[in-house]
Amino acid sequence: MGFAAFSSNHQSLYRLDPRTKILLTVLVGIVMMGGSIHGPSAIPRALLALAPFGLLLAERKYRQGLLYLFVLLLSVGVESYLVTRTQGALNLILVIVSSLFTRFVPGLMMGYYLVSTTRISELIAALEKMHMPRQIVIPFAVMMRFFPTVIEENNAVREAMRMRGLHLSGGNVSAYLEYMLIPMMMCTVKIGEELSAAALTRGLGRPGARTSLCDIKLRGLDALLITISLLAFALWIVL
Amino acid sequence: MKKGIQAKDLINIGLFTAIYFVVFFATGMLGYIPIMMLALPFLCPFVAGIPFMLFLTRVHTFGMVSIMGTILALLMVLTGHPWQLLPIGILMAVLGDLVLRAGNYKDWRSIRLGYIVFSEWLAGMMVPLFFMRDSYFAQIRAGYGDAYADALLSVTPPWVFYLTIVLIVFGALAGAYLGKATLKKHFKRAGIA
Repeated sequence: MGFAAFSSNHQSLYRLDPRTKILLTVLVGIVMMGGSIHGPSAIPRALLALAPFGLLLAERKYRQGLLYLFVLLLSVGVESYLVTRTQGALNLILVIVSSLFTRFVPGLMMGYYLVSTTRISELIAALEKMHMPRQIVIPFAVMMRFFPTVIEENNAVREAMRMRGLHLSGGNVSAYLEYMLIPMMMCTVKIGEELSAAALTRGLGRPGARTSLCDIKLRGLDALLITISLLAFALWIVL
Repeated sequence: MKKGIQAKDLINIGLFTAIYFVVFFATGMLGYIPIMMLALPFLCPFVAGIPFMLFLTRVHTFGMVSIMGTILALLMVLTGHPWQLLPIGILMAVLGDLVLRAGNYKDWRSIRLGYIVFSEWLAGMMVPLFFMRDSYFAQIRAGYGDAYADALLSVTPPWVFYLTIVLIVFGALAGAYLGKATLKKHFKRAGIA
């Protein structure tokens, strides 16, 4: 899970606009962070908390979806029942862990969904459609392009060390920094200079709007999901 | 030197933000060891000082550090981290950029201070905990009464937030020195700094 999971060849069963995913991610994050698990505002919160579960199932990510549902139900259960029935240090740990989980995990799960089901080129096209300035979009695209490279170079350095019979055992942080991080950074910077030259010859520095091959459109399903989540959000604010 | 941000600069920003983020993320993985979690606000800016100092050798104009902070915060929000990171991340990046510009991106004292300011974007991660704390305690107060809520409040003090900010300051300060030393020892010799 994480940034490396940005998929390059993911085929969705249905196509959601990345803008919809971004909106959902932000809304789920906002709503889960505040509010209560009791009272009327719990209804829109529960609805939005289930959004990542439904979306993951729809992408046939059953394992992740069910794991998420399990963690969510467990922490909600702990927060609503066990917290009042325990005392002392155990109570404190339960309070902190369960409240952190119910508030952060739904947002992170939405982030995981966004990252693992959106192609980078789709995300870039969506950001451009959102009228982000190119000073933001281009570095963002380059950053996405470079995550795999950084990891690849890191593995290459590790391989090279192993070939020479060098092993870094855990704990030796300064050796790790010096022998792994620095060669990795040197390689990546060199690759970056080459990429920079290549991209410039292909007209990256050219002013004006860029076109994209990605077909980014708000479709019926997008409209439905946006409406439902905005309604839940409005309900959450009012209640 | 050309004025303004060129396409090459935009590529450099993306490149160094990628390195910065990977280093940051890898260090953050140590947070899975519970004791290390408390040390993260120190460790992350400390290790990330190396890519940041290398990045600064490529920075010559205002805006590059601001953009770096912006896309960093954007990435965090897109991966489901609290949205408060976006405004705080941008604010800290612009402030850090201003400090760095005061020294024309070369003066060591403004680099040191600028990196400390920039690194405080991490504190944005803690802000929702603060909001959350209020709403959470309001809920507990309503549900279980004042005595219980007060007892719980007394054991989860807000100083954790301030401690985080202070730890980031020290981490970034040490990271700036680490980065400077690394530049001198390795990158200058290899001809890429």
